[in-house]
Amino acid sequence: MALKLCGSPISTRTRTVAATCKELNVPYEFVNVDLAGGEHKTAEFTAAHPFSQIPYIDEDGFKLFESRAISRYLAKKYAGDNTKLIPTGPKEEALFEQGVSIESSNFYPSAIGYASEKVFKPYNVQYDSQTRAADCLATLNVKLDAYDVLLGKQKYIGGNEYTLADIFRLAYGALALIQGGQVALFESRPSVARWWKDISNRKAWLEVIEKGV
Amino acid sequence: MVLKLHGARMSTCTRTVAVVARELNVPYEFVDVDFAKAEHKSPAFTAVQPFGQVPYIDEDGFKLFESRAISRYLAKKYAGQGTKLIPTDPKDEAVFEQGVSIESSNFYPHAFGFAFEKVFKARRGLTTDEARAEEHLKTLAAKLDAYDVILGKQKYIGGNELTLADLFHLAYTQFLITLGQGDLFESRPNVARWWKEISNRPSWLAVKDGA
Repeated sequence: MALKLCGSPISTRTRTVAATCKELNVPYEFVNVDLAGGEHKTAEFTAAHPFSQIPYIDEDGFKLFESRAISRYLAKKYAGDNTKLIPTGPKEEALFEQGVSIESSNFYPSAIGYASEKVFKPYNVQYDSQTRAADCLATLNVKLDAYDVLLGKQKYIGGNEYTLADIFRLAYGALALIQGGQVALFESRPSVARWWKDISNRKAWLEVIEKGV
Repeated sequence: MVLKLHGARMSTCTRTVAVVARELNVPYEFVDVDFAKAEHKSPAFTAVQPFGQVPYIDEDGFKLFESRAISRYLAKKYAGQGTKLIPTDPKDEAVFEQGVSIESSNFYPHAFGFAFEKVFKARRGLTTDEARAEEHLKTLAAKLDAYDVILGKQKYIGGNELTLADLFHLAYTQFLITLGQGDLFESRPNVARWWKEISNRPSWLAVKDGA
């Protein structure tokens, strides 16, 4: 029952899946994808992942891409008493889904926009990259005000327990914002700061960033 | 006792919840949120939805926002009636989740990004950035090439059965078409086949012009 995680050690989404595996105590074999060499654009790769992205998993021939889908699949398959990343009660699950959706629609577009400008090399398109970074940051500030309200009422993004909704935030939070010099976004808001300190010190996450994927 | 859907009739995300409710034969009462009066930014509203967005549901006092979360909640609660919108077999469910994630990360940012530049900005008195709008279209075109490959191998975005993953595409695809971008979908044979099918479902026809 070998699980192969195909991706890159610096990829935020590869790290998301790695963190999920470590939370669940699921062993995996990491398979490096040579991005610099264009491996993700080869016919063989796109046969497994038509969007030429990473990561994907190969579980004895069953292939799956999209880090959130992979994380969900593993969280369900390996759910245990100490490793519950998706709640089971209907209303708790609904709040979890609300949290996951908040991340993908209210946080991710601006975080990826900012990260693209400030952390990744800009694409060769004629636009003012500083303006876009500023726009993304402005949006992020507004969104994080709302997060601060939410996290004043509940302990975590998806309710009162740590779930995938929090893991999905981690990698982009760390990379896009803190590496991009925006730690104040998190630390200036008391409930967000409280939550960030909690989740960024979890053993599974520290293992990913300190030891790598 | 009836589910209350708070939103705006023509809002993409409000219509998403409406179409899902109809697929499940779940009755709902639509409650209009008055955008003209900035009701969505009022303290009473943001107490429920801190991002000031629509829709949200109120089910006998249980409030939930984010259209995809609401849709999932309803699809699970009413799984025994109407159309089955989330598979139960673990691997089918994984492929469904892959489809949902494809929509939210590969489709939505660019569909929304384009609509934001071309329509939403003007509503807020901001200027369209044509270059950025073009960039979103270019990215979307590349993404839809991958969609065409996927839909050549499986009938729907989330597998071989219709699921929420397909329904989540309806409102923004329609929006793109009204903005003159129908060719993105019509020019790709598998995408065209899939779009024709899902956009002609009675549930969508009932709400596409208003929740």
